Amino acid sequence: MSAALALEVRDVARNFGGLQALRNVSFTVRQGEVMGLIGPNGAGKSTLFEIISGNVKPSAGSIFYFGTDCTNVPPHLRRRQGMCRTFQKVRLFESMTVAENIRVAASQSVPPDRSVDEEVAAVLAQFRLEAQATRRPSELTLADRKRVEIGRALAGRCRLLMLDESMSGLTHEEAEHLIVEILALNRTRGITVIVVEHVLSVLAAMVSRLVVLHNATVIADGTPTEIAHDPQVVEAYLGTKQRALR
Amino acid sequence: MHTGAPTSVLSQQQMWFNWRSAAILILPVAIVAVLPLLPFVNNYIIAATVRALIFISLGQAWNVVAGIGGQLSLGHGVFLGIGCYTTGILFNKYGIPPWVGGWVGVLLAMAVALVMGSMTLRMRGVFFALATVAVSLALVQLSRHFVDLTGGADGLALNFIGNSVWAMQSRTPAVFLYAALAFVVAYYWITRWILASRLGLEMQAVRDDEVAAAAAGVAVFRTKLVGFTLSAAMTALAAVLYMQFYMAIDPEAAFGLGTAIQLQLPALIGGLGTAAGPIIGGAIMIFLSESTNWGGAKVGIEGLDILIYGLMLLLVVLRAPTGVVGWLQAMRQSGSGR
Repeated sequence: MSAALALEVRDVARNFGGLQALRNVSFTVRQGEVMGLIGPNGAGKSTLFEIISGNVKPSAGSIFYFGTDCTNVPPHLRRRQGMCRTFQKVRLFESMTVAENIRVAASQSVPPDRSVDEEVAAVLAQFRLEAQATRRPSELTLADRKRVEIGRALAGRCRLLMLDESMSGLTHEEAEHLIVEILALNRTRGITVIVVEHVLSVLAAMVSRLVVLHNATVIADGTPTEIAHDPQVVEAYLGTKQRALR
Repeated sequence: MHTGAPTSVLSQQQMWFNWRSAAILILPVAIVAVLPLLPFVNNYIIAATVRALIFISLGQAWNVVAGIGGQLSLGHGVFLGIGCYTTGILFNKYGIPPWVGGWVGVLLAMAVALVMGSMTLRMRGVFFALATVAVSLALVQLSRHFVDLTGGADGLALNFIGNSVWAMQSRTPAVFLYAALAFVVAYYWITRWILASRLGLEMQAVRDDEVAAAAAGVAVFRTKLVGFTLSAAMTALAAVLYMQFYMAIDPEAAFGLGTAIQLQLPALIGGLGTAAGPIIGGAIMIFLSESTNWGGAKVGIEGLDILIYGLMLLLVVLRAPTGVVGWLQAMRQSGSGR
């Protein structure tokens, strides 16, 4: 029996005035899956992320989260139901300490079997941020800032983690560390993961499936190997030399 | 589950009370408290101190919504006016004492804050500030229009019945000194409690980044509305003291732009979003204002205090945008970093 659907994007469209940012976008994500979302600049990835997380309303279509239509559910309630995300440009609460950043999210949906303090401590430990707990984000390196943001996304209830270019700006080693941590979360806690990433070589090592957006719609959906050999993708996105996959 | 982080780090949000802060507060409170007992202190100095304390408490109330919550309300005179007019009207027309009338004013201010906030808090930044100014200006006109109720442009003077606990009236300013001091101390601890509470954390998250706050599960609009209403209630409560001390209120003094700016100065000068900021800022503000007013009168320059207000704002914006507290913290950090 196949796993239940964590997310279903059904016929989603979005217009900004005369600009069609998304049209007839449909795909599903199974529970426990690690899925990649790729596409060239302007393909509509960010708009789709904003629609899934509830910051932007679709002009048409629906979003189903674990079988329930959440198209009109505000973002904070989606988060409390375990739909978690990071941002393309890291967005932390700059006046707060690292521990407080995580506490904000932990206190919204702490699991019944532990206190907020325990949850904050667990997240700090998981991302090896204990030494930075009382520091402000401005004192951290980019890699640590990204880990705090992912930690904040995971604090409390998290069933679906959406990462928006979380590897960009990191060194190869830092990115590898982060990938290991995310895959461990997927394995140990069964968290479904959607990753938007430009570095396809990074993404191919991480995901079991790729959805490709181009010109505001889905042009391919398959395993990284299938995607790499899809002539439409090669033509539209990767280029004939497939340089991005290297 | 691993819980290796130190408890002090994790629980710092809950530590709204600590003896160090209490000890720091004791000295200024003691100085103010013994003022009436000192031989060289006359009623003018006591009255000036009461005025300072009243504006500090109003600044503390504004600091909740603007400093902690990041919503720069320029219309908080609305709640000062509602508190003053409600207390005054209920006392003059119906003989209801301010002990009761004040709470009616608080409830009315909260109701207005809920309606006003529902209409304006979805706006961001300057648009929200402008909307609150518009409500203030509308109330200036309304209070001028209903002459029978509010006294119109001339304002409303409280009926003075002499020294009376029931009517909260006294010929001696020292009584108000202690009342105002109690307000400032109470509001200081309330601010610390808010900062340490889950609500305070959410308000700060919303202040820092609304989108990220929502992504962390914070109900952004509700948090703003709760902060706005709480701040309105605190303003209206302090307004009772304002009304009993000044014994009069008029549309400009309540809802005017000058009042709105005065409410902001203690927190802006002292340090937005901090518990001590409005106290420090208010003390500096009234000291400079009174001394320059006195000096101005000596040299024949009226309104020198207004000029000083403007210059102070300019100085804060240019030199210490985080206020005196922020400036002191930066100095301490740079000192410890050496």
